[in-house]
Amino acid sequence: MVSKMQKSKIKKLTAALISTVMFVSTAMVSAVALEPYNSYIYSASGPVSSQDGYTVDKVVNGLDMGLEQLSDPSSPLFISENEPAVLNEPMDMFRSAKGEFYIVDNGNARVLKLDSDLKLLKCFKYFTGSNMSVTETDENGVETTRELNFLKNPRGVYVDTDDNIFIADYDNSRVIKCDQDGNILHEYTRPDSTMYTGQTFNPSKVICDNGGNLYVIVASVNTGACVFSPTGEFTGFFGANRVEVTFQLIVQRMWRNFYSDAQKAKLAKAAPVEYANFDIDSDGFIYTVTEVANVKTDAVKKMNAAGKNVWASLTDIYFGDQNQTYWSNGTTIQVRLTDVEVAEDGLIHVLDFTSGRVFQYDPDCNLLFIFGASRDNQQGAFSAPNAIESSGDYVYVLDGRKNDVTVFKKTVFGQCVHDAVELFNKGLYTEAIGPWEEVIKRDGNYNLAYEGIAKARYYQGDYEGAMEYAKIAFDAEIYDRAYKSYRDEYLRENFTMVVVIILLVIVLILVYARLKKKGIIKKGWFIRLFKKKKEGGAQ
Amino acid sequence: MIYDMTPVQWLKHVIFHPIDGFEDMRWKKQGSLKIALVIVFFLFVAQVVKSRFGGFAYNMYAYTSLFSIIPILIQSVVYYGTWVVANWALCTLFNGEGKMKRVAIYTAYSLVPYIVCSIISVFMTYFLTTDESIWISFISNLGLYWSLLLLIFGMKACHQYSFSQTILSMIFTVVGMLLILFLFVLMMSLFQQVWLFFYTIYTEILYRLRA
Repeated sequence: MVSKMQKSKIKKLTAALISTVMFVSTAMVSAVALEPYNSYIYSASGPVSSQDGYTVDKVVNGLDMGLEQLSDPSSPLFISENEPAVLNEPMDMFRSAKGEFYIVDNGNARVLKLDSDLKLLKCFKYFTGSNMSVTETDENGVETTRELNFLKNPRGVYVDTDDNIFIADYDNSRVIKCDQDGNILHEYTRPDSTMYTGQTFNPSKVICDNGGNLYVIVASVNTGACVFSPTGEFTGFFGANRVEVTFQLIVQRMWRNFYSDAQKAKLAKAAPVEYANFDIDSDGFIYTVTEVANVKTDAVKKMNAAGKNVWASLTDIYFGDQNQTYWSNGTTIQVRLTDVEVAEDGLIHVLDFTSGRVFQYDPDCNLLFIFGASRDNQQGAFSAPNAIESSGDYVYVLDGRKNDVTVFKKTVFGQCVHDAVELFNKGLYTEAIGPWEEVIKRDGNYNLAYEGIAKARYYQGDYEGAMEYAKIAFDAEIYDRAYKSYRDEYLRENFTMVVVIILLVIVLILVYARLKKKGIIKKGWFIRLFKKKKEGGAQ
Repeated sequence: MIYDMTPVQWLKHVIFHPIDGFEDMRWKKQGSLKIALVIVFFLFVAQVVKSRFGGFAYNMYAYTSLFSIIPILIQSVVYYGTWVVANWALCTLFNGEGKMKRVAIYTAYSLVPYIVCSIISVFMTYFLTTDESIWISFISNLGLYWSLLLLIFGMKACHQYSFSQTILSMIFTVVGMLLILFLFVLMMSLFQQVWLFFYTIYTEILYRLRA
């Protein structure tokens, strides 16, 4: 018997033990969860918790960049006494081939050039050599005409390999091409062509391909990006989105058959949505994102020089959050993909404006990491993420409301995954097994690792192993391929046995038929095992 | 033809003689309700097998732990039950000769090829790759159409209809099934409300008694 005293002592001890364990575990959790969100990744069955692939390294605001130099008369970068030292609703960020950053500071109508550490190098506020002019009326009613040497609501920037800067000057209806000293080399304005039917020309984003062709996303033009030749002529549109087929659209199409022409004219036209942003990779493929909420058709495209979406045939890939649900509480969100960026190594970053999440994909569109959040003013969470760039181990996200740049740094786990993906995409399947196993050691939920090992085993000729890992990865395609090879191999090895069994079955059937014919086995012997019923007995 | 057969032999006879089999069975007043119920049980088993077994490439979801028996029960036993009731109710009104018991037996007998072929096709998925899925779809379609054929001639023999009458009655039976299921769901929700009503009265009285 245990006495009452002893019992209570045991109780106390257990309580103390449990509370200690609880305390330690919470302490551990708070020590691990540095980010203001729980990392997750999509497995075959939905979202699962995952390790962080990226963590916040630092957050850089205007002061950290050294923007106070702009209002400091002693600085060579001095512009004016009241030049703000903070960013104001920055809209776009671009990392040039030299590794320098260009930020479009929309609210302050300037473009900042920063070095790779995000320190200010130069500010583009006023330009020389514009062919355009603006007429202003001051308070005395005197009209003055001056050169259009400033930006008005700039929204996009691109820098080509020769360090020429392209700025989408939204409200001035032009795209500026200027050199590093702010001398305008060319101004792209509303095309005179009959092809261009838009009344306005408000460029919002701009890129340039290797051949010097300029692609401009123009607000409220949904026929694709405007393309300008290297000599500055408008040559046409590039890669319009398709119309999303919705139930409403199908119903409308059906009704159209019964409508008169007058009624038809009144119907709302089904128009494709314009894309919000784009990027170009070193091979000249152009990646676009469409920001309209929850759009399924052409949300992210990879287009070749002819404007064809090379991913159009892949029906099983999609970008951003699946089913538009939060992982944590299940409420519906609106996915609005606002920016896409292709890194030098081919990794694709897609930025979701609503959830503040960055989705990183490998060149084959496999989701690698999700990081970032939308709530609070914490590090790693965004209120208006506008642009994303990356270089090496770092990913930079520009926030238009917090007016800062958040720098994410790759973790050890992230490096593991990247190593494995890189080896695997090079075709070094066997070499990739090691890194993949390391990934699984760190995160058993990481589905892509099982898939990678399954494929590697398959290419190695270990079909049974491939089948096993394909089952874990829930990948029927790899399983099927592995099974086919496994079956072929099995039949080849056991050919004699298979033939013997088939022959045996044939012989047995022949013997049975022979015996039945001779009357040794009676017809229906098996059925006679059941009780025989008289005619008409059942009903 | 000698019609001196056991119930299981009758089943075999019916299945392999789709056009005459049911007529023979009707005139000889054969067919066992026990066997029919066993067949319905196997229909349920076949549906379970279809959803819970199969090669990985064909039926990945058999390899998850999520499994609900209710939809499978509805897809087999409930559908069968509503079919029998709807068909009997309808055909009795339109000069059909079949009794409910006979409708139940003939329907169940005609389901045998479907059950057998679904189980065989599930078995085959373990050995075939998706490139060879034509064999599996061939087997399962064979079972389906065979059963449909049997059902048509079964109902024809059961009610002594002409062919076109049979087809029409079967289409209306499907409509009747939908109606029954709809009314069933409606009734369930109504009963729920009635129950809620009485429960509120009960609690109300309880509060008053206490006060």
